[in-house]
Amino acid sequence: MDGSVRHSARIPVVGDRLRRGQSILSAVFLPQLVPALLLILYGAVVIWSASLTNPDAVFSRHILGIALGLVAAALIWRFDCRALANMSTALLVIDALLLISPRIPGLSWSTRGLTGWVRIPFIHMTVQPSEPAKLVTIVLMAALCAQYNGRIENLKDYVRLCAVLCIPFGLILLQPDLGTGLIILVTGAIIIICAGPKPPWVMVTIGIIVVGAALVIIESSIEGIPHILKTYQLNRLIVFIDPSVDPSGNGYNLQQAKIAVGSGGLFGKGLGNATQAAGGFLPESHTDFVFALLAEEFGFLGSIILLGLFAWMIISTILLALRIEAPFSKLVLVGCAAMWSFQVLENVGMCIGIMPITGIPLPFISFGSSSMVSQIMAVGMVQSIWRHRQKSG
Amino acid sequence: MDLFLAIVIGALVLAAVLIGAYLYFGRSESSFSFDIGGGAPKASGGSDTSAGKTFSGRLKGLLVYVSAIFATLLARLWSMQLVSSDEYARLSELNRTRTIRTAAPRGRILDRNGNEIVTNRPSLTVVAGPDVVQDVVEVQLLSNLCGMPYMATRRKIRDESEGAQSKRTVSVDVSRRVVAFIAAHPEVFPDVDIEERSERFYPYGSLAAHVVGYTGTVTAEQLESNSDESGAITYHSGDIVGQAGVEYQYESVLQGISGEQTVYVDSGGTVLDYVANVDAQSGSDLVLTIDAKIQEAAERSLVNVTNYIRSEQGFPASSGCAVAIDCASGEVICMASFPTYAPSMFVGGISNSDWDTLTDEKNNYPLFNRAISGQYPAGSTIKTLSSLAALEYGLADGEKTWNCTGWWTGFGEEYGMYCYLKTGHGTIDLQHGITMSCDVVFYEIGKGFYYSSDPEGLQKTYRKFGLGSYTGIDLPSEELGRVPDAEWKWNYFSDAPDDSRRWQGGDCCNIAIGQGDMLVTTLQMVCAYCGIANNGHIMKPHVLKSVRAATGEGSVIDYKPEMIHECPEPEENLDIVTKGLEGVVYEESWSQTVHWNSLDVKVMGKTGTGQMAGEYPIGWFVGIAPADKPRYVVGASIDEVLEGAQSGMYVVRDIMGAIYDQPDTLFTYNVPGADASDGSYLW
Repeated sequence: MDGSVRHSARIPVVGDRLRRGQSILSAVFLPQLVPALLLILYGAVVIWSASLTNPDAVFSRHILGIALGLVAAALIWRFDCRALANMSTALLVIDALLLISPRIPGLSWSTRGLTGWVRIPFIHMTVQPSEPAKLVTIVLMAALCAQYNGRIENLKDYVRLCAVLCIPFGLILLQPDLGTGLIILVTGAIIIICAGPKPPWVMVTIGIIVVGAALVIIESSIEGIPHILKTYQLNRLIVFIDPSVDPSGNGYNLQQAKIAVGSGGLFGKGLGNATQAAGGFLPESHTDFVFALLAEEFGFLGSIILLGLFAWMIISTILLALRIEAPFSKLVLVGCAAMWSFQVLENVGMCIGIMPITGIPLPFISFGSSSMVSQIMAVGMVQSIWRHRQKSG
Repeated sequence: MDLFLAIVIGALVLAAVLIGAYLYFGRSESSFSFDIGGGAPKASGGSDTSAGKTFSGRLKGLLVYVSAIFATLLARLWSMQLVSSDEYARLSELNRTRTIRTAAPRGRILDRNGNEIVTNRPSLTVVAGPDVVQDVVEVQLLSNLCGMPYMATRRKIRDESEGAQSKRTVSVDVSRRVVAFIAAHPEVFPDVDIEERSERFYPYGSLAAHVVGYTGTVTAEQLESNSDESGAITYHSGDIVGQAGVEYQYESVLQGISGEQTVYVDSGGTVLDYVANVDAQSGSDLVLTIDAKIQEAAERSLVNVTNYIRSEQGFPASSGCAVAIDCASGEVICMASFPTYAPSMFVGGISNSDWDTLTDEKNNYPLFNRAISGQYPAGSTIKTLSSLAALEYGLADGEKTWNCTGWWTGFGEEYGMYCYLKTGHGTIDLQHGITMSCDVVFYEIGKGFYYSSDPEGLQKTYRKFGLGSYTGIDLPSEELGRVPDAEWKWNYFSDAPDDSRRWQGGDCCNIAIGQGDMLVTTLQMVCAYCGIANNGHIMKPHVLKSVRAATGEGSVIDYKPEMIHECPEPEENLDIVTKGLEGVVYEESWSQTVHWNSLDVKVMGKTGTGQMAGEYPIGWFVGIAPADKPRYVVGASIDEVLEGAQSGMYVVRDIMGAIYDQPDTLFTYNVPGADASDGSYLW
């Protein structure tokens, strides 16, 4: 905990200028904020259309999630995130607590076979702690990696970083939520890679992960021995390659999602005319398979617009990371970009049959307040970094 | 839709404002540039530049990674939403549209006077999916509701005869109360439905069962065979099709075109909206040549006569048949076969026990239409044709006489044969040979042919009158009969020694009196007599009179009479024969004549007693009326009786009685148990 943290304390913050009555626009990073807001808007339209036929998609709750997220993001934006760089131990504890909380009796709330939910006493709101945990993990890994200032020379340090990342990853696998686990793993891994370990180490690590994953899948496919992955998890992982492993469950869902996307055509079927979703053929059309609903309603053009907005936002974030000097800020931006890009890849990829089926929400679009609030908070974090950036000459 | 528009417009305006704000204010900030190579600051604060380099290298790598993700997604979306979009759109439509088939009512079958022999009636049917059988409670409730034993309900749901996937018929003709109960408690009866079906209904019971035939669920073979036939009706599993008789023969006319209702459904199968509707077109009505009144008389007569023979003569009289034809047109006025069956047994699927009963030898195969499928020795009825042959080939004339002593030794003493009248007929000419049915006359004719220049002249004449060939009647499963000749005998008895295989003089004598290997169907025999009645023109027998127009009055198709055999005989020859035939009715025996005296119309005809080794004879009678101006030819044959005059003749007399409305006053069948009035006289 040296170097960058102390260094950052000396940076004059933009907030000072604001207090002197300067434009708020200079304090927000528009290339990231605008696409994010457009995505939220786009998502609201899609969820509103879903709410017409799907009683589970409550539009007012979606709006409430957006509002909560915007408030939280504004607070984060006011706050200088760099202060978090000093709190890696606390972050690790919070991360662990968040991920263990669904296992705490009295709090846990299971749904659809996942114990990833916490029911807050007295107000009866259920939240998914793994969503904020993603952010905490980003900040935690960024804080740890930033110490090395872009070059990890010592293998022991590299291994230690990997070991820290394994803590949230391991805890989330206990829920078990393989999808969120993968997001945390990929996001954390990208932060570590960008923090400057030697390439051979990374290669070896990836090799170990790939071989390990392959062994787990093979082990789970062999009859008669205790399986690491449950059958439904294994089916979800391989169903996109071979839909026949689960033709009535995930294979059916996948096929229906592909039909929804493909039948959208160039211009889509129009708002509220998504027959796949309205007829109930497309499962979870407001959450996990929301992209299929969007693609069915708005077609290829709508899909391009969605992907374009994501690309605009993510690339802007990475470009900002290139310009920001403080390693911690850089790595937080990298983490956010990595999280968004992987979630888009996984969620959209799942709907079009190129990724395994997992229960990952599409950022800013999917119904679900936990995800919405966390994702908007991530936007707030990027904005905070911009606002509190060190101005270069 | 207003709300839709408002939301879309609102979203677009907001988007435009945001983009505009970015373009306006974002540009003024100008510190952001996509060009990262230029003015961007390097890592500062004294740290070594290599770390900054590492960062920027890795971040550029990250950019490549992100770009790759978006490129992959875009490529895949391109292929799905633009290239294969049509296929997915088709699948999507397939998902949400269901086609409900509405069955078309089959055409009715009417008799020549427009009486409904076969019609349709609506029937409320309880059907259940195959999985219902696993729910013990549901099955129990269903059986209570339908008033059936639990095991019977279970068996019906398990029955796969209508297709493994199709719904199983649990109970037909259920009451409105049952329908209301099931409709009111869908949660108690999952996968149980009420179908309103159109079922075959037989107002006359089993009347003309062998002519109209019966219907059944389309078989797998029928489904397969209709798939490659273009333009024809397409059958679907579970369709009701004709399986016998007219129902089978004119299936394509009777079968309507089923309607289709296209609906939008959700994933649970709930109908959301109706899209299109094609009404079912009912099949066309058929008008038969059958006269219900005469048909009824024929069927009742078969029952009464066989009952009478069983109780009074002590012969089994196991089965029989009768046919009446209008010789000018070939119209079949009645066609009865005994024992008969009720086609209604097949409605809604025949039960196994019913099927076993109908196909059991002990019950004499009630499904068998003996009039066209039963092949019997013709007996003396053939002597009419033998006479014509003899006259044609010069083996007989009006003058020639023979002497019958009752024992004939034309081929030597060791081959001697009896006349049926062992006391002999004395000196007898051809006309009286026919009248008295003297066997010796025809042994002589047979011998004459055997030694003549054309030894197969008899067979030629028989074939000229249509024996040994299909009449081509518009009913399925007609049999060919058999006119034996030297070639046939040689091939048929291929295992026998050559001597026995060779055609002998005795064979000629045998076929001349209608015994031996000669086989005919009752219809063939009636048609042959039509040739005599109709001056040598044998019209194709048929049961279809016309096809009624589906809408409005009139008929779309009228059956065109068609000649199948031309067998003109010289006037003087016919004269001898017809005189002989008249003699059969009015001269041969008083006991015969008394039956006909109550009929104003003059009749001619021929009795016959077909014999087969080791079996009871078959009693034949073929009559022609009126004798002076022939119009109707009526034939009957009854199995396992004493002789034709005391069996088949009674039936023919009853049919003639029905035609001319002058029943046989002499003969009353006061036989207990012979109640034929309810129309269900099965055995």
